[in-house]
Amino acid sequence: MLSRSDVKSKISRYPQFTDATISLHYAPRMPKAMVRETQEVVAVARKFNDEVVRPYYLSLDRKTHEDPDFMPLELVKKANEWGFYTMWVPKIFGGQGYNMPSLSYFCEEIASVCLGVANVLCVHYLGVSGLMMAGNTAVVKRVMSDVVQGEKTGEPCLIALAITEPTAGTDVEEVDLEDQGKITCSAKKVKGGYVVNGTKIFISMGRLSKWTVLYGYTNLKKASETTVVMLVKQGMKGFTYGTHENKMGQRICPADVLEFEDCFVPDELVALDPEKTRRFTRQKVRDINMRHIDYIVSITRPAVGSFGTGAARGAFEAALKFANEHELDGKPMINAEWVQCRLAEMYSNMRLGRLAYTEANLANQHRGVYNLLQMKPMYYYLKSLPKAYFDTVISPLLDKPIGTWLLSKWYLDWQKPDDQHLCTGLGSMAKFNCTDMGIRNCQMALEIMGQEGMRHEGGVEKILRDAKLLQIYEGTNQLNRLNVFKSLIAPACPKAKVFEE
Amino acid sequence: MEAVLTALNKDLKPFEDLITSFSKGQLKPHVEERDRYPFGDLDTSVNEEAFNKIYELGFLGTMLPEKFGGIGQGISTLCMMLGHVAEVDASYSLIIFTSSMSQQIILEAGAERIAEKIFLGAKTAKDYLVAYPSFCNPGQLVTIPKASPAGKGYTLSGKLDYLVLGNFSTWAVIPARVADTPGYSYFLVDLSDKGVRKGEPIFSLGLHACPIVDATFDNASAQLIGEEGAGERYFDAASKVMHVATASISSGIMKGSLKEAVDYAKEREQGGRAIVNWSEIRMLLANMAVKSRAAEMCVAETCQGIEARIRDWGVYSAATAIMVHELACEVVTDGVQVLGGNGYMKDYGQEKRYRDARQVQALLGTAPLKKLSLIREIIA
Repeated sequence: MLSRSDVKSKISRYPQFTDATISLHYAPRMPKAMVRETQEVVAVARKFNDEVVRPYYLSLDRKTHEDPDFMPLELVKKANEWGFYTMWVPKIFGGQGYNMPSLSYFCEEIASVCLGVANVLCVHYLGVSGLMMAGNTAVVKRVMSDVVQGEKTGEPCLIALAITEPTAGTDVEEVDLEDQGKITCSAKKVKGGYVVNGTKIFISMGRLSKWTVLYGYTNLKKASETTVVMLVKQGMKGFTYGTHENKMGQRICPADVLEFEDCFVPDELVALDPEKTRRFTRQKVRDINMRHIDYIVSITRPAVGSFGTGAARGAFEAALKFANEHELDGKPMINAEWVQCRLAEMYSNMRLGRLAYTEANLANQHRGVYNLLQMKPMYYYLKSLPKAYFDTVISPLLDKPIGTWLLSKWYLDWQKPDDQHLCTGLGSMAKFNCTDMGIRNCQMALEIMGQEGMRHEGGVEKILRDAKLLQIYEGTNQLNRLNVFKSLIAPACPKAKVFEE
Repeated sequence: MEAVLTALNKDLKPFEDLITSFSKGQLKPHVEERDRYPFGDLDTSVNEEAFNKIYELGFLGTMLPEKFGGIGQGISTLCMMLGHVAEVDASYSLIIFTSSMSQQIILEAGAERIAEKIFLGAKTAKDYLVAYPSFCNPGQLVTIPKASPAGKGYTLSGKLDYLVLGNFSTWAVIPARVADTPGYSYFLVDLSDKGVRKGEPIFSLGLHACPIVDATFDNASAQLIGEEGAGERYFDAASKVMHVATASISSGIMKGSLKEAVDYAKEREQGGRAIVNWSEIRMLLANMAVKSRAAEMCVAETCQGIEARIRDWGVYSAATAIMVHELACEVVTDGVQVLGGNGYMKDYGQEKRYRDARQVQALLGTAPLKKLSLIREIIA
């Protein structure tokens, strides 16, 4: 047989075996309590589906058609009461500190009933991710304490993320494209802060979020090097809402246009800018900006994958119910072989989707953004410590420059590019496959159900409308395919260039 | 743009001119407004006006013989018209389709007296446009009304789901089962009969400008169309021709989707250049174009095959429909994708096509069952 060193040399050449089989290596290293925690999260999601979502979501969707400006205030309040907006906020920032990968399973559960509700509950964590990944502990602490406070007072405090612009969608997700694009949201450095002018569009939960993580650029022609990540609060001077977007689906989760006119953002609300970047790294600002974006999307794209899996599951469950309740030529439909094979295919699409986002999460846990919090000692340490410890010992550190320095260093400077490629690549892979499967299952369900599938009360037509957005947001599925090439394939092709055809 | 059908048969030109100017002038300006909730609401004068206009122009009787007040054209003319209308708003294709389908059932049943009564006596779209459950093969429905002989005619009782134009038309062609008789039969029902209850317009996936309702019959008077128990025969004969008509609607939707996608891709820039110059977007557009063009040619050839009564023409008609519907569902999905977030918004036409194409696919029954009946015919 082969010697140990032979084995090592064979498995470490491209494609590296550990990179190609993430779950085999990392699933056994996961703290056991994380699995129990995830089970609890899924149980809570199922309870919420039973008690709140199922009796309510179709009438809510109908309301959004009756009144295109309808806002799901009651639902947000309910989610706040159930603690969903702090559930995945780390304990060091006052949240409940559930492990982030469990959010994906939560998303899938809720999305299997209603993608609109799933977004109302979970898009807040897109904002949380954007905020956290800027690495500025003082700003994170300030905003998160509002979120935690909002839960206590019953006045929900959500965080939105505003990056997409009228003329820049794909462009703002890749530094390689940013400098060629038509980016218009400017952040001008002035004494004590920045002045922002510009428009952001398609901002999910925009006007229902107290805080927004906003991306501006000091030089619109060199956006990749001059990104400024700021926090803006509702009601700040110069910050207003434009029209409410009229979407085909996911209508329960409103999307807004955000307008900034000479909006002054003070330094203490600036989470990341070129000057702050230079304080903790010698790497190029542009690379750090890409890393920041990559970190966000390596969290959010598997989450969108879990939405897609939820859509695939919702469509599958509807088709299964239909087949159970109907007959073909006087015999139960469920016993027809062709029906069984279609259902098997839909079921597989759902489970393959789940595997894909789970794999991306495992990469994040062990080679990426969650690795700090989910190393066994750290995980148990944080889990077992009382809240008072965080309030008295950790919290004061967060306001000190050392807090920001450490977090930025850890996330944005020390991480290895190979690990980052793996995480962002697997995130993209999960995202486009799961969401494509969501649409595929809807299509199959509708074909089986015919005219019954067309009716709003059956729910499938809504899943088809809702699911389409998943192929578009968090980077179109085309951009995500390119990212898979860029992150997972191109590193082994020295001649390959991406975005340069 | 001239349809392939017209390019192959110049006789269609006058009809094409008429339908394209109608679509542009009367339909295009109102597409978004007619797609709004509450769907299928006939209270707005705009809708009724458009229905009457289609009637006055003769589109509702395209294949109906002149002796019954139609314009006596063939399937090519109907498909060319449905395609053009669908390119703008497929809801109106559904209206024209439903009118033709109910007429075909009446004609296949040889019910000339009924045809004379309805179509020669009609003065408005309401009287001429006969409601019909266009989205099913009645033989596959779980519940259809029961018919019982009563005096010279029959009475119907029970529920019929998803009756297209049920809240608009005076007349409806309704499938129902006569007790102790195998199969089902078709009946003509006056929808203003006190025994007919119509639900609110149904909230459906697409084709919103054309209302669809559930109807319940409670001893409603009905007149038998053709023979008792011959419903399946009439449906098979009518749908044999009409399958390709459903395909032409999908083909029109694809053309609209491709056009909007190309126009947008030329204008929209990312990474400093028009997205039409990104090769992956080009590939998306190319896939859409391949499917759209092949489908249009397929529909045209099938129409000609039907008119020439080539061997197995019914099989070609059904096969064309099944395939073109599938292609359309793929094309409209990519059609939204090319426009990105904008494609998802109601400010553009793509999201409507994305919904409409699926709804059209459900015409005349579910896709898998259409496939199985096609292969049954081939095997036999």
